[in-house]
Amino acid sequence: MSRSIIKFTAIIAVIAALLFVALYGLDFTETVRFPGVLDPDGVVQGLDLKGGSVIVFEAQVADPTDEQMNTVTNMMRTRLDGLGYSEATVTRQGVKKVRIEIPSVSNPEKAAESLGATAQLKFVDYEGTEVLNGNDVKTAAAQYGPVDQMGASQHFVSLTLTPDGAKKFADATARVVGYGSGNNYIAIMMDDIIISAPRVSERIDSEECIISGDFDAETAKALASNIRSGQLPFSLAQVELRAISATLGDTALKTSLIAGLIGIILVMLFMLLLYRLPGFLASIALLAYMAVEGIILANLHINLTLPGIAGIILAIGMAVDANVVIFERIKEELRLGKTVRSAVDAGFNRALSAVIDSNITTIIAALILMWLGTGTIKGFGTTLLIGVVISMVSAIFITRFLLKQMIGMNVKNLWLYGINKSKKEEGAN
Amino acid sequence: MINILGRKKIYFAISLVLMIASAVSLIVQGFNLDTDFAGGMAVTYEIKNEFEVKDIEAIVSDALGTNQKASSVQKSENGEVVIKFGYDNNLKNDEERATFAAEKIEAIQTHLAEKYGEVELKNKDIVSPSTGKELARSAVWMSILAALAILVYITFRFEFVSGVCAVLALVHDVLILCGIYSIARVAIDTTFIAAVLTVLGYSINATIVVFDRIRENTRHAKKQTYSEIANTSINQTIGRSINTTITTLLTIGMVYILGVTSIKEFALPIIIGILIGTYSSIFIAGSVWATWKDSAVKAKSNRK
Repeated sequence: MSRSIIKFTAIIAVIAALLFVALYGLDFTETVRFPGVLDPDGVVQGLDLKGGSVIVFEAQVADPTDEQMNTVTNMMRTRLDGLGYSEATVTRQGVKKVRIEIPSVSNPEKAAESLGATAQLKFVDYEGTEVLNGNDVKTAAAQYGPVDQMGASQHFVSLTLTPDGAKKFADATARVVGYGSGNNYIAIMMDDIIISAPRVSERIDSEECIISGDFDAETAKALASNIRSGQLPFSLAQVELRAISATLGDTALKTSLIAGLIGIILVMLFMLLLYRLPGFLASIALLAYMAVEGIILANLHINLTLPGIAGIILAIGMAVDANVVIFERIKEELRLGKTVRSAVDAGFNRALSAVIDSNITTIIAALILMWLGTGTIKGFGTTLLIGVVISMVSAIFITRFLLKQMIGMNVKNLWLYGINKSKKEEGAN
Repeated sequence: MINILGRKKIYFAISLVLMIASAVSLIVQGFNLDTDFAGGMAVTYEIKNEFEVKDIEAIVSDALGTNQKASSVQKSENGEVVIKFGYDNNLKNDEERATFAAEKIEAIQTHLAEKYGEVELKNKDIVSPSTGKELARSAVWMSILAALAILVYITFRFEFVSGVCAVLALVHDVLILCGIYSIARVAIDTTFIAAVLTVLGYSINATIVVFDRIRENTRHAKKQTYSEIANTSINQTIGRSINTTITTLLTIGMVYILGVTSIKEFALPIIIGILIGTYSSIFIAGSVWATWKDSAVKAKSNRK
């Protein structure tokens, strides 16, 4: 009996500790730490909660190869870095699409335009003959400063050419000088649009050259970024653009959490009312469930969307289901006249198959949502899956353990297990 | 003990009527597809000052110009207006559509700001028609795949007849759920699909519990008809089915009551689906199974 009391208190302590860790995390050192749900670097808020944009591009060719799509994805990352969106993510979606998510940005139109540009760079002379192209450029950088002797500072892009490119540039400038006034310029074109057309007054023998014109900080950065990333293997079209402001997410998160809390309390009261002692124990198991769920969400950095939160709350309601199946079974066994110990054992054993089968089918639905769904739907599938798995474990192992300790502590009054005296005398149906 | 099998004709009739009504509505008028599936643009603005929907409609028509597909303007709670419109049919490719969308949205925002001062963009969705069709296709595909996977799993764990009856109950649930939304002309977006799949995964639970009990009772009772076994099994599990539904409704119900509009729209089909699912698990699934099995036995003995 005393062993049971010790085991019971032990597991209550463990659950309380888990709840603490779930909320506040565990800090060993600066680098070795496990964030909690309340830590800022714990749970990752999805775009629909913290605001942000989604841009989806589709390749405009019939059969892009895997390699090409991966090249596009990498180029996008370079471009996003160049634009200063260090938190943006790029993923492939399906066979032909690229999905870009930029948190905290609600007006992505300009970004979308520059990201989706093919970025074909050409230097041509007045006749349209190509003199240099993107392959001759080693790197590009957006700068601010004076571009000529007059000294007025402006935004411009400086290019570093490859040795081969520098030679071509030297030859070209030498030739263009001789074209006479009006024609002695080199037009710099991006995607067939002239962005700069400087006059050439002498042969330029250098690996550095600049593109100056009507640039501001943003456009210079975008251009440099696109030149650095290189030209896309094919053109892209924007097929989806979504933007959500941050304020929408704040209210949504708060109300969802309150709803969840109230819902959980109602469920615990309901379980207590209907199943009494086992119901109370199931509520403790529910706390354990929430602690484990919190730890997993915070440490796996699961992307939490609004439907994802609904998924968590739904899974809690379903989590209790396993307990309901088992407790109803225990009640039946008690009505048949079995002792509490054997009724509990029988209840768990007989109900196990039903619990496993019904949870697996929910898992199947959640997996399909995760595999084939995108964006918020995927988030919902993920939290539903995590919730159902944890709830299965919690109901089967934790509740059973708690009940066993109760029996060990000689808590066997039938009323506590949900049986009213008159029902027991009636016997089984 | 409730005689469910005895009144099965009533329950079958109710379900049949609901299913036919749903099917008819879906075939004749289909869904009211939201931008996610139909393609188009949806913008939500918060306007600090008072406004009338009529006035906004006029402003939007102005900004959009001619050649415009029907738009919808709705006032939602907390002073927000939701404006939806489609693409000009003359646009030839997605690049043109992207430019069109950006232009028109900017035009609308400028016009609104002129008239109402402070206008804050809350939400913006621009979806190309091809993406819309793809999302719709993937939604149907996901549902079919889930139903098939569940059929295979149940056949493997129980038997083929149970598998078919369980899936029939699922089809019943999804059909009526879609029928309700089709008849009520409520706009469907991708979150509706998540709701449908949740209902699929959830409704099957109750059905499984019934079939699990039937499986157990069949092992021990050799002299009863299948209808009698089913009746007993359903009665034994009815407590669990109802209580589980209550606990789930408590949680998702609170989310519906307290949540913001987008979450309400997500939670409602789940709630409706759970209710239909519980009904079908108790009154339909077991009855169909028993009727099938009993008539198979009858056919066998008639042949002898």
